Amino acid sequence: MLDIKNLSVSVDGKKILDGFDLKIKSGEVHAIMGPNGSGKSTLANVLTGKNGYEVEGQILYQGKDLLILPIEERAQKGLFMAFQYPLEIAGVNTNNFLKTSLNAIRKGKGLKELDSLDFLKLIKTKVKNLKIDEKILNRQLNVGFSGGEKKKNEILQMTILEPTLAILDETDSGLDIDAIKIVSDGVNSLRSKERSFLIITHYQRLLDYIKPDFVHVLINGKIAKTGCSELALELDKIGYEEIEASA
Amino acid sequence: MSLNFDAFQKANQSGSELDSIRIKNFNIFQKKGFPSKKEENWKYTDLKTILYNNLNKLELPNHENTSQYNSEWLLKNFEHNQIILVNGDFVSSTFSFEAKEKIKIKPLKTVLKDKKDFKKIRDYFTEQQNSLASLNHALVHDGIFLEIEDNYSFKKPLIIYNFFNKSSENKIINNKCFISLGKNSQLSLLEYYKAEDSIKYFNNTIHHYSIQKNSILKKFSIDNNLDNSYNYHLTNVKSYSNSIFENFLFSSGSSFVKNEIHCDLLESFSSCFVNALIFLSKQQHHELKTNINHKHQHCKSSQLVKSILLDKSNGTYQGKIYVDKDAQKTNGYQLSKALILSENSAFNSKPELEIYADDVKCSHGSSTGNIDQNSIFYLMSRGLSKEQANKMLVEGFLNEAIETITEPNIQSLISKLFIDKINKTKFEINEH
Repeated sequence: MLDIKNLSVSVDGKKILDGFDLKIKSGEVHAIMGPNGSGKSTLANVLTGKNGYEVEGQILYQGKDLLILPIEERAQKGLFMAFQYPLEIAGVNTNNFLKTSLNAIRKGKGLKELDSLDFLKLIKTKVKNLKIDEKILNRQLNVGFSGGEKKKNEILQMTILEPTLAILDETDSGLDIDAIKIVSDGVNSLRSKERSFLIITHYQRLLDYIKPDFVHVLINGKIAKTGCSELALELDKIGYEEIEASA
Repeated sequence: MSLNFDAFQKANQSGSELDSIRIKNFNIFQKKGFPSKKEENWKYTDLKTILYNNLNKLELPNHENTSQYNSEWLLKNFEHNQIILVNGDFVSSTFSFEAKEKIKIKPLKTVLKDKKDFKKIRDYFTEQQNSLASLNHALVHDGIFLEIEDNYSFKKPLIIYNFFNKSSENKIINNKCFISLGKNSQLSLLEYYKAEDSIKYFNNTIHHYSIQKNSILKKFSIDNNLDNSYNYHLTNVKSYSNSIFENFLFSSGSSFVKNEIHCDLLESFSSCFVNALIFLSKQQHHELKTNINHKHQHCKSSQLVKSILLDKSNGTYQGKIYVDKDAQKTNGYQLSKALILSENSAFNSKPELEIYADDVKCSHGSSTGNIDQNSIFYLMSRGLSKEQANKMLVEGFLNEAIETITEPNIQSLISKLFIDKINKTKFEINEH
């Protein structure tokens, strides 16, 4: 699914990722943990295609070079990132945005676009499943949303777009237990053999609900340690410093 | 430029005081000439130079073919009353939906010729707001005179069609509209402009609205079909007790437009709303100048202007709120937001508050910026192309202005025109 080889990323000459390797197979859930500034969000941004990074190395997605693809084509090929800080887009109706997005992706995949009625049916089910208040659909995209509502909206988008590789960039930060439950239910309901997840988080808490197959510790731009889900528990106890020292 | 005033004067003798008023005003205009950037109100819009560069052979219209217009230009699927002006001259009016005895409508031409009628509007010919107003007083040929009686609410909107056909090429057209609402009356008015085949002309027009106690005038204006024309639209409003004046402007697609709106809130509890959606591209030049005069206490005014600028376009908003010393408890608000989508376009904003009362609430705000690249990234990460993302952000930005329209039919009409405009526009936006 995803094969990152010797990835180095700099911003304004400052190296953020340095010789980063990661392999994710279909159906796997990987968690990346690490202290502030270790390069977690940079990794997510580079995978999604954000401008402003000097990138070296290789990223293969479904066997093809990901780095040459424009942002929207990555999305159309099944890549999705739940943003750490979802943007507030004034004047844009949430429902219209979701419909435009789904249809752009369906079009990219060569599927028929959904009309308003079919879309409405779909969205109503998804909103209900995630226990999200339907009212957000008629509000302006993320405008005046609470932190929790913004993150839930990201998960709603994920369940509508049904990505092949979903990246969650600190989706759990700032969430209460109920919201974390909604986020993890969303992820768990999508888990399948064909779909992979890359979950970026500071805390072990989310991983109580979403059990990862692998946990990686990112320190100073490269993976310092990889383990199974128990590694997260261990990290929670000892912190990053010890691993940093031994890395 | 050859304005043959003597010939005009001979052809339009009224035998009333108007004849000498015309001469006096023409002399004032000749002394001052067209406004130039030396004047404070025109510092962002140097009309003298603009006309010199683009329309240096302006002449007076011959009033031929003034009844010729294409019926395709009339709005369909929209129940409305209508007045049709072609090249500024009154052609016809239909009030199919209304009680006709409540409405007095006359071509302005007949009012100008009738000594008794002319007295009703005589005083407006002494207002010397600028040299264009003087020129208009001197050369006005026709227009609209409309009086709505007390206690009458229009059932359907009134559309004033301002059509310009080929005979207006290189002409300077001076017309006036007088519209007055009696007490407890209500009218929704849409000014709709359409020029034939990119013809070039200069339309200098003055509108006078008088809104009596408890009455509501909602005025909308759509000038997106003017292409290559040059326009100065001056609107003067007198608002009396507890009345409401709502003005919405959708401007896009003309070489030059300056909209100037003066509203006098003369009695308490009257309010004035000026909202605008300005969408400029190519080398279009647009200015909105407002002057809201709070002359009495407990009045309210609010202005929201949203502008989008592409290509080499140039936009200006000069919004002034004046609060008289007697106008306590005034509530005055204005906000201008502009999105500049090309490094070759420019937007000027000059908010002005002049306050002589001490118990007032007034505020103004102005922001000019570029499209947010993080928002673009967010939308593109959801599968939208850059073009789609830009369109969505522009539409979202302008929606706030659309939402201020309180007349549902007109809101959906303007909304449709505006979506069409966005869909037809190519957003080649520079990144900053």
